[in-house]
Amino acid sequence: MAPNVPENDQPDKAIEAQRYFDLVRDLHGDGLTEAQLAIVRERVDDVVNAGEMMRTVTLDNAEEPFSVFTPYDPGAAR
Amino acid sequence: MTGELHFKTVRELGELVRTRQVSPVELAELSLHRLDIVGRHLNAVVTLTDERAMREAWVAEAEIAAGNYRGPLHGIPYGAKDLLATADGIPTSWGAAPYRSRMFARDATVVRKLEEAGAVLCAKLSLVELAGGMGYRQPNAAFTGPGVNPWNREHWTGGSSSGSGSAVAAGLVPFAIGSETWGSILGPASNCGLSGLRPTYGRVSRHGAMALSWTLDKLGPLARSADDCGLVLDAIAGADANDPTASDRSYAYNAGDAGRRMRVGVFRDAAANAEDAVRAAFEGALDVLRTFADVEEIDLPDLPYRAVTQTILQAEATSAFEDFMREGKLDELTAPEVAYQPLARFAIPATDYIRALRLRGVIARQVGDLIASYDAIAAPTRGLVAPDIEGEFVAAQARDNMGAIGNGVGLPAVSVHNGFAPDDLPTGMQLMGGAYRENAVLAVARAYQARTDWHMHHPAEFA
Repeated sequence: MAPNVPENDQPDKAIEAQRYFDLVRDLHGDGLTEAQLAIVRERVDDVVNAGEMMRTVTLDNAEEPFSVFTPYDPGAAR
Repeated sequence: MTGELHFKTVRELGELVRTRQVSPVELAELSLHRLDIVGRHLNAVVTLTDERAMREAWVAEAEIAAGNYRGPLHGIPYGAKDLLATADGIPTSWGAAPYRSRMFARDATVVRKLEEAGAVLCAKLSLVELAGGMGYRQPNAAFTGPGVNPWNREHWTGGSSSGSGSAVAAGLVPFAIGSETWGSILGPASNCGLSGLRPTYGRVSRHGAMALSWTLDKLGPLARSADDCGLVLDAIAGADANDPTASDRSYAYNAGDAGRRMRVGVFRDAAANAEDAVRAAFEGALDVLRTFADVEEIDLPDLPYRAVTQTILQAEATSAFEDFMREGKLDELTAPEVAYQPLARFAIPATDYIRALRLRGVIARQVGDLIASYDAIAAPTRGLVAPDIEGEFVAAQARDNMGAIGNGVGLPAVSVHNGFAPDDLPTGMQLMGGAYRENAVLAVARAYQARTDWHMHHPAEFA
């Protein structure tokens, strides 16, 4: 992201990445150097890019998470 | 006979033990000696389990002498990646300095099953810290040091099952157990010139194994042949009341010939991003496959495979180690970049993680249907040979779609040695199959190994 571009002119993805990065830096960035923060920013970009890639696929409402969940029944043997 | 034993396969050793030409005690002593002398130079060993090994070896020897032979693993030494819990006062470090003295009261299910099969645990083997889940960028990412490749000490073993790869390749143990979340069995198998099997997700209980990513983690063997991988899987597969994701589908290794011409698919451009030597080895391997199988190019559906698997892995790993991260323990790990790099994962939205889990179903169905009629899908295991052991990785595995698919939706794959790049660096071919079809991919791998001798090459320095 070019730092001198007004926020309203930036692509949505760059704005999203910057805000996520700001959140990570504010919550977890104490003591990190500028060089380390720059790497963290790159990894945040990876997170945002992955999200963007996944949203290129349209999912039906009925498309459920593909994971196993069995209600726990303390009376039944596992 | 000792000098002839250390590069034999499990199958060969098992027969020698069964017929009492070799004793389990002799094998255990040989492995312990080589692990102690050679293993430490390769940074392969975290803990030598000598007391337990000798106890198990003497038990095996007595049982066999009494006519109670348990099967092909009886009396066979092995090593376990040090993220598998072990009792008996043997530490389980997860490859991470903060945990180097951690003890567990019970064995992991895999370790227990191998003990029941009569195998002899000789060492806990090194790994990339926390199985690489914090995003390392260099081989020196374990308190035991970087995994040294037995084929060329200036190169890395691959990770995260580093010690499992080098210990088998250098003839320290005939097989080892590794784990794979994304590439951690197949990668070291390829870099070290071994056979490595990533079973179907849930085929092998994860109970007692460090959790990196609950829906991606798998346990499986690294060995000297595909046949050996099948023998080991036969012993460790199966349901487990302690792991609800362990499948209750029965598994029995079938070492028999397929008895028909096989069918192998190759995703279009599977080797497009591989370096020249890897591509050449893969093309040579395809020529061998064509002698017993119809090899067909197929098109992969356009889906965000890597984004899905990356999101699941990073979200689950961050949850698994959230307390560790918040307590500031990342600073205690070896690779300096892991002290801050994973913090970015706190930015993964819950909706992205759940979207990845929903897309997993789409991928599972589309890819599962596409490959259902094939015995295996072939590709280079790694596009790049083992990197230099010093410094940061200079190139990433840019487009590992096979790894993303196979791990993302839990499909089995076996990697086999298929050639050499310059500097004696092995190359590998992976054969991936449909869910629960380990016997199909192993049959293709065995047929390949019956027509080639790559798997019988060993590093000259350790012969």
